[in-house]
Amino acid sequence: MPENPFDPVTLSKIASMELRARLVVDGVLSGIHKSPYKGSSIEFLEHKEYSPGNEIKHIDWKVHARTDKYYIKEFEEETNLKCYIFLDTSGSMEYKSTGISKFEYAATLAASLAYLLLKQSDMVGLISFSDKVLQYVPPRSRITHLHALLNTLTALKPAGKSNTSVILNEFIEKISRRSLIILISDFFDDTNKVINQLKYFQFKKNEVILFHILDPYELTFPFETITYFESMEDERRILADPKSIKDRYLSGINRYLEQFKQACFENQIDYWLIDSSTPMDQSLIKFLARRESASRPLHKS
Amino acid sequence: MISFLNPLLLFGILGAIIPIIIHLINKKKAVSHKFAAIDFILQTNKRISVKFKLRQLILLILRASLLAFLAMALARPFMKNFIGGAPEKNVPTSNVIIVDDSYSMQYSEDNESFFMSAKTAARGVINNLTKNDDAAVITCSSLGSQVLPELDYDKKNLLNLIEQLQPGFATTHIVPALDAAVEILTSAKASIKRIFLLTDLTRNGWDIDWFKSGNEKLRSHVSNIHIVDLSEGRELKNIAVTHIEPQINVSERSAESTLKVVVSNFTPTRVKNLLAQVFLDQKKVAQGFFNIEPNASETKEFYFSVEKGKGHTGWVEISEDNLNTDNKRYFAINTSNKLDALLIDGDPKTNIYESETFYLEKALNPGREHASSIKPTICSIHEVKNFDFANFDIVFLCNVETLPPEKIHELDKFVKEGGSVIFSLGNKVDANYYNNSFGTLLPHRLHTTRTFSSDSPLSEEQPLHLKTAEPIHPALRILSETNMNTLSSVKFYRVFYVDPTPLGNCKTVLSFSDDTPAIIERQVDRGRCVLFTSSVDRDWTDMPVKPFFLPLMQQLCRFSTGNIAEEIQNETLVRHDWQVLCPEEINSLEITNPEGAKAVLQPQLIDNEKSFLYSETNIPGIYTVTVDEKPHPQFPSYFQVNVDTTEANLAKINQKELTAILGGVNLTITTSPVSEGSEVLMGEAKKTLWGTLLFLALCILFVESFVSRK
Repeated sequence: MPENPFDPVTLSKIASMELRARLVVDGVLSGIHKSPYKGSSIEFLEHKEYSPGNEIKHIDWKVHARTDKYYIKEFEEETNLKCYIFLDTSGSMEYKSTGISKFEYAATLAASLAYLLLKQSDMVGLISFSDKVLQYVPPRSRITHLHALLNTLTALKPAGKSNTSVILNEFIEKISRRSLIILISDFFDDTNKVINQLKYFQFKKNEVILFHILDPYELTFPFETITYFESMEDERRILADPKSIKDRYLSGINRYLEQFKQACFENQIDYWLIDSSTPMDQSLIKFLARRESASRPLHKS
Repeated sequence: MISFLNPLLLFGILGAIIPIIIHLINKKKAVSHKFAAIDFILQTNKRISVKFKLRQLILLILRASLLAFLAMALARPFMKNFIGGAPEKNVPTSNVIIVDDSYSMQYSEDNESFFMSAKTAARGVINNLTKNDDAAVITCSSLGSQVLPELDYDKKNLLNLIEQLQPGFATTHIVPALDAAVEILTSAKASIKRIFLLTDLTRNGWDIDWFKSGNEKLRSHVSNIHIVDLSEGRELKNIAVTHIEPQINVSERSAESTLKVVVSNFTPTRVKNLLAQVFLDQKKVAQGFFNIEPNASETKEFYFSVEKGKGHTGWVEISEDNLNTDNKRYFAINTSNKLDALLIDGDPKTNIYESETFYLEKALNPGREHASSIKPTICSIHEVKNFDFANFDIVFLCNVETLPPEKIHELDKFVKEGGSVIFSLGNKVDANYYNNSFGTLLPHRLHTTRTFSSDSPLSEEQPLHLKTAEPIHPALRILSETNMNTLSSVKFYRVFYVDPTPLGNCKTVLSFSDDTPAIIERQVDRGRCVLFTSSVDRDWTDMPVKPFFLPLMQQLCRFSTGNIAEEIQNETLVRHDWQVLCPEEINSLEITNPEGAKAVLQPQLIDNEKSFLYSETNIPGIYTVTVDEKPHPQFPSYFQVNVDTTEANLAKINQKELTAILGGVNLTITTSPVSEGSEVLMGEAKKTLWGTLLFLALCILFVESFVSRK
């Protein structure tokens, strides 16, 4: 049986973030919409010497008349969306129980979303953070911007504590336009503060989408033997018998998820809980399909 | 106080630290796992961790106690009984160890007899004593002939004594042993006095009546009696040859023997086809099979020929079982020498039935079917001169009126040289003539006649009867109880009273019911004279037609001629005396026991008679009797010694009965297997605890599995 290329474990074997993103997005798009993408308007960007294979209709005949050389016109597709992807790179994101860590999953998701948006000429920027901003890539709409984004993503190493609300606070003033805010994190943070900060974004007519990435072990707590559980963000360490605390753990985390989800819903924040063992295409398809049905499509058909 | 049978196994308690070590190792080796959602674990930590730690602690305690309890159970703990039992180690004790050496102790299973176990137990008791304790060892069967041992502090001596103990063939005698033990302990200085009774607890050794008075002695002189039941409380099964009875029928040429054999089955199951074999002179002469119902006996008769004129020995044996001692029973047959008897008939008649000697002759030699070794010859007074008394062993004078003077002289000489004469009287006898003519031969002077019976015209009183004199005369000893009981049925219508002076050297064989002598006898030089004070025909008495007339007359012949040895020897039981009268000319007698050990007996005076007494009948088998290393006609060549079959019934006396009959005595009974190092032997084990510990361990295991699964 061939491997599912969207399976997180399979994806984790693909070193190139670009390839991962392309694989996911092309597959997803081909799955949900087969018509070629057409931009609503384009702006001239630059001339480029013709080479065989370029479409003849893009030859700028006026330049040819002046220079007797064939140039083709390159256009920048007009974008109507500026997207900021906030990616949590705190130490807790490094946790993995299966083949792919939450960070890898989140990074691949971020890359896929960036590719998807850039493909339709939206501007995509990236902010990676822990308790401080680690990398900031300003939004651009050129497809070549993808490389910059992907290179940044590839170079990231999760570490440190997370403090999402502080980071969001830093960017409230910087993001002025009606933008799309995508926040990808495990949200092992003070979620009340996060929600409060996101309210400001909402207030400024930004659309906020939260991708809550959790490892299946964090959701099911399937441990059997006595274990020293060590914090991934600080020095805390606790010996526990998983069997005896499982019920209370699950009860605690489910209550937390429910409360978080409820807070998002109340503040019209699009909340997506993703199990990092879920195949990436499924997560994206589900996300895009829901967006489409809610008349808030992320891609242009 | 708790003690342990296998204290070394207590080291196993150290095993309890294994769960602790495992717990610590596990704690150390607990898997470390970096986990992002640690806050949610921490949220539950305070409550869960306490529960977890508590559960771990409970499991740790349970597992450690499980191992500790198991180790303690294997060490076999017990609660010591201090009621008169072993006190503190430094308090001196005096101990008497009674080893039951009865033959039932030879009951063996897996090649180890109870007696061997008893020796092991006795060694165990000695080894458990301290240097301040003294002890004595006695056996149940040897007390009669043994000087009571003194208490001894030397363990080595005591152990040697135990090593030398041999199983016996006698019956159990617990009571004399307890009596002896009390006597030994009475003089003991130690404040704590204990009796250890090592026995198989068979019922027959316990004389319940003794304890009615004996208990008081035990209570006042003994601190504790510890009974070790070496049969470990089991029911014992046994099959035994319980009785044999040889009979001999002598004809002119040979003798036919009938051997009646009784085999008893002391088991609750039926015995089928049990082989019994009869051996005579080391050769098998007959065999048969027994089928015996549970707790019943069966009798069979075996037939075989024996050679006349010599002694024969043999035995009957059945197939082996757990107790072989009683599977074999010995017998001895002594076909005796022929006796020639001259019967001088003083009142011969044409009709022989009315002759004086008719009944006597028939009694001495009844004929083909009951042939005896006595050959009677009858003559009248007129014919007597033709007979030389020296050719006979015995002369009967039956209602003889007179004898020629030369014959009287010859008779006198005949007796003095060892012959025997028996006077029987009648209406022809004149007391004065007899007193004058046979004065030296007559055991006592005749006085006068007296007539009885209302039927007779001469009647004065009721007819007289016979009764035995005390003690029973040796000549009567072989008469059966039935014969003795018929003595009173004999009627005497006329008798001669002897002179009412003291009888002197005379011995009364039988008396009349008015206590006057009926048969008296006296040793005269080397011979013997017997006087029967009535007639041997039916003129004065009906005795000749009574059943015991035959054995009485034959026995009188044998006795007076010194041929007292019976053809069939009465059975002598182990540790019972064998006794035989001592003829004048014999000064010593040799007895060789079945193991070849020879004992020389000297005559001794028993009941005013010179007799040989042999008491060393310690082992069953055939004993050989010789004089100057040769068989002697006046003694049986052999006699047999057999075990007492009351011991063959191995029914047990149970603990309840023991407790009841030893009421008030501090008693400990052990039925568990014993070993030398066993402290149970010391009677200190009141209650064993290993069962409880194993139960606790099982409970802990159950709880542990429940807790660990949760």
